[in-house]
Amino acid sequence: MQEPIFSLLDVERTYELRRPGWLNRAPRQLKALDGVRLDLQRGDTLALVGESGSGKSTLIRLMLGLEPASDGRVLYGQRDLAQLDAEEKKRFAREVAFIYQNARGSMNPRMRIADILAEPIRLHRLCAESAIAERLAALLDRVGLPAGLLQRFPSELSGGQIRRVAIARALAAEPQVIMADESVAGLDVSVQAQVLNLLRDLCRESGITLVFITHDLGVASYLCEKIAVLYLGRIVEQGPTDAILNTPRHPYTRALLQAFPRFDMPLKASLSGEIPSPVDLPKGCRFAGRCPEAQAACRESDPALTAFDAERQVACLFPVAGAQ
Amino acid sequence: MDCAVALTTQAANMPVSEEPLLDVRDFSLRRGQAVVLDGVSLALQPGETLGLIGESGAGKSTLALALIGLLRAPEVQLEGSLRFRGTELTRLKEADYRRLRGNKIGLIFQDATAALNPCFTVGQQIAEPLKRHLGLSKWDRRERAAELMHSVGIPEPRLRLDAYPHELSGGMQQRVMIAIALACNPELLLADEPTSALDVTIQAQIMELILDRVRELNSSAIFVLHDLALGAQVCDRIAVMYAGQIVEEGPSERVLAAPLHPYTRGLKSCVVELGSRTLVPIPGQVPPLDAMPAGCRFAPRCPKAKAICGEQRPRAEIRDGRQVACWFID
Amino acid sequence: MSDALNITATPDSQWKRRFLQPLLRQRSAVAGLAIIVIYVVAAVFAPWLATHDPTAQDLMASLQGPSAAHWLGTDSYGQDLYSRLLYGAQLALIIGFASVALGLVVGVAIGLAAGLMGGRTEWVLMRIVDGLLAFPELILAMAFMAVLGLGTENLVYALALSFVGPFARMTRGDVLQVKNQPYIEAARLMGVPTAAIIWRHVLPNVVSPILVQAGMRVSIAILLESGLSFLGIGVVPPTPDWGLMIAEGRAFITMAPWISGVPGVALAILLVALNLLGDGLRDAFDPTTQKDA
Ligand SMILES: Nc1ncnc2c1ncn2[C@@H]1O[C@H](COP(=O)(O)OP(=O)(O)OP(=O)(O)O)[C@@H](O)[C@H]1O
Ligand SMILES: Nc1ncnc2c1ncn2[C@@H]1O[C@H](COP(=O)(O)OP(=O)(O)O)[C@@H](O)[C@H]1O
Ligand code: SF4
Ligand code: SF4
Ligand SMILES: [Mg+2]
Ligand SMILES: [Mg+2]
Repeated sequence: MQEPIFSLLDVERTYELRRPGWLNRAPRQLKALDGVRLDLQRGDTLALVGESGSGKSTLIRLMLGLEPASDGRVLYGQRDLAQLDAEEKKRFAREVAFIYQNARGSMNPRMRIADILAEPIRLHRLCAESAIAERLAALLDRVGLPAGLLQRFPSELSGGQIRRVAIARALAAEPQVIMADESVAGLDVSVQAQVLNLLRDLCRESGITLVFITHDLGVASYLCEKIAVLYLGRIVEQGPTDAILNTPRHPYTRALLQAFPRFDMPLKASLSGEIPSPVDLPKGCRFAGRCPEAQAACRESDPALTAFDAERQVACLFPVAGAQ
Repeated sequence: MDCAVALTTQAANMPVSEEPLLDVRDFSLRRGQAVVLDGVSLALQPGETLGLIGESGAGKSTLALALIGLLRAPEVQLEGSLRFRGTELTRLKEADYRRLRGNKIGLIFQDATAALNPCFTVGQQIAEPLKRHLGLSKWDRRERAAELMHSVGIPEPRLRLDAYPHELSGGMQQRVMIAIALACNPELLLADEPTSALDVTIQAQIMELILDRVRELNSSAIFVLHDLALGAQVCDRIAVMYAGQIVEEGPSERVLAAPLHPYTRGLKSCVVELGSRTLVPIPGQVPPLDAMPAGCRFAPRCPKAKAICGEQRPRAEIRDGRQVACWFID
Repeated sequence: MSDALNITATPDSQWKRRFLQPLLRQRSAVAGLAIIVIYVVAAVFAPWLATHDPTAQDLMASLQGPSAAHWLGTDSYGQDLYSRLLYGAQLALIIGFASVALGLVVGVAIGLAAGLMGGRTEWVLMRIVDGLLAFPELILAMAFMAVLGLGTENLVYALALSFVGPFARMTRGDVLQVKNQPYIEAARLMGVPTAAIIWRHVLPNVVSPILVQAGMRVSIAILLESGLSFLGIGVVPPTPDWGLMIAEGRAFITMAPWISGVPGVALAILLVALNLLGDGLRDAFDPTTQKDA
């Protein structure tokens, strides 16, 4: 087996919350991520799914080195992200691209699209100054936008166009890994379909490794070959997309699937209550409060992510049974 | 009354009374030169739920706002008729509208955070329509507000009466909005994307809640939705809007399972379902309001368009129990 | 909305459409601009336009009303008011722009340093700024003139100092806001060096409110300058200065009202024009007046 491009070794991320007031100043701990294990192989397409507040964005920010891990290690190749030297940092910046959830906000409003796209090219000296124009035209063409947009400002593009520009900028540096946070949320279905097709074609053609955050299991299944389900800061189930869709093993994954709106099934509120606050997590399984399968043992011991079968990992004491 | 509840929940499609609860006829709305809504016709029977579906800018919210009288002359110009329980709404005075709004017609907006007033407790905000429309005493209002909060699934309602909106999660805020909308037992509930900002798990809870409450009150509801599958799950009827017109309208199972209008088909093939293998986007984009094609507004993007489509606007035809506006229905 | 779809794609037209056109659409701003242009022309060509030496005294011709020889009359020393007015415009504009420019450079530098570095540097710099801001501009300038002594150059320094505080405070506020924008983080993630981030991403996004502010401050500077000179702690006589001229005319206000009146009216018109232009600039730069979907 080849060496993974990213590995997360029991990564934790805690935030200290200061209580208001003078008395009782002992800070409380918010565990945004708690014991995350993940291996990402070259060419993988992985979707991170989970309810809002489950820690998806935090996880990706850690993988990008935007935030340090409070505990555990994030490895890029074999190097710890926290210990990269200047040269390695530069290489990382070129090889790993990020597409922000807020695509418009991630672009300088006073720069033209041409300058925005040219910035990474100039920065990494990917081509001669004279060849940049040609390169920009090719980039726009690749994401299906007319070259006329190059002279516009970000505020002058529609929601679908600006997301394509964000994709184009991610591609500009010819990265090996693309990470994207909710890149199709809030788009009209027809525009969403265009952007999804674009991303899928890009991954298939150039073998880019993709980490895609979404709260939409449909989008995850369309785009990615693997899915990792997060709940309250931990990956609770992980495996190939088809297997997860057909036979979810974690009760939370099953509930997410049941709540997904479908033409052929009636509405079903599969889960009661809301995701609790990650402050002062209870003892035992973090899902126990909402889990329909919970038993006494679940409130005692906290299940870690363990191998369920050859390709699936589940963090549950009583995984959902069912035919493969 | 009670036995009517039992009847209509079972047979939502059967007309209960002669006159529909809401009757929209050839309704148009202009903002200056731009025709935002163009000849919209709809009828809603008591106890029915209707879903408005279509791309951004299709005019779904505009129609909802016009229905509750928040878009009126001189800001916009209205034509055609909007009848609610036999009353012509387009000619209603603002004072009379205010008696309807929040009382006979309840409202739920997409963004509860923006719709709730951050300066008042949720208890005060739920009590407001009880005071204005029902004239309940202060003590009764508080009691009723607690009951309402309980009925929308807010745990420990008495403790949370005095909470401010920012102290509640998005899902809880949406529940408060629902409690406010249902406070006066409305006959019609308008919900503009009530769950777009929420997770699917919470969305299912909220939608189930709204449906239960609406059925209990034997009210009708209009949902503005962007999720077609959710429309199939929660709506008796579906109206598909494109560029200010209703292109297809009918029972949801037929419209969504076997769409007749090319636009409805296009929309459906863009929907990501669990395990979708291919998505076929609709080419092009919605034309701007000031550059609408003369004939069928969908013609520039329609795979079936022929010469006549660019010249004449198709009239809505009844076909297979629904109205469809297309020259070439097969 | 739809005009965004058919923009011609040249940088030049973009600039016009985003900035120049909104500015020119406001009649009052155009009027202000026109008046200022007239003043600037008068100031630049003062040596050619003047009919007399502005400091030449002719006691025989003192306190004269407007005439063919002295178009706007003379003052108590017999100096030609028309010529003094022209040179006065020169002085007012030079002091106004120079003091604001100096205050801006220093203030923006302090604000940038404070906003970007944070921590202790920020604390120290901002306490200094607070100290400066504790005094009203006029008082601060007066105190400084008292220390430095009279004279045009010192007046510029004193006024500039009184503007450092507002510019620093404003720049820091904007930098703090821009610093947390996703596009700054995105640039860092792409590996853009810090200096380039400041130059390319931070500065352009804080500069426009500063320029608008500068435009407004020029009128304050001119007013302060005239005020200080009027009080006798600005430029020294017989320099042709409007504040001085108004002060000199005070004693003769009933006999020869034009001595104070002419520079007074000139000053008032210039201030109004500067404010009209300032308002226009603010609206033209204001992002809320531009489409941002
Ligand atoms: N205040 C306004 N001024 C001018 N035009 C407006 C205004 N509000 C809406 N419109 C226009 O009216 C049309 C219909 O808008 P509407 O908000 O009803 O669409 P919608 O179907 O609700 O879309 P969405 O799914 O994005 O909510 C659009 O073309 C929109 O640009
Ligand atoms: N900078 C921060 N300070 C404190 N808490 C944070 C911070 N960032 C994230 N969190 C908390 O961490 C948890 C996970 O957040 P996030 O990763 O954004 O979830 P998701 O992307 O899955 O919605 C949430 O409870 C959130 O409130
Ligand atoms: S460990 Fe228990 S509570 Fe946790 S998910 Fe499994 S069955 Fe549910
Ligand atoms: S009328 Fe013509 S253009 Fe319009 S939807 Fe029907 S076939 Fe397409
Ligand atoms: Mg997130
Ligand atoms: Mg809307």
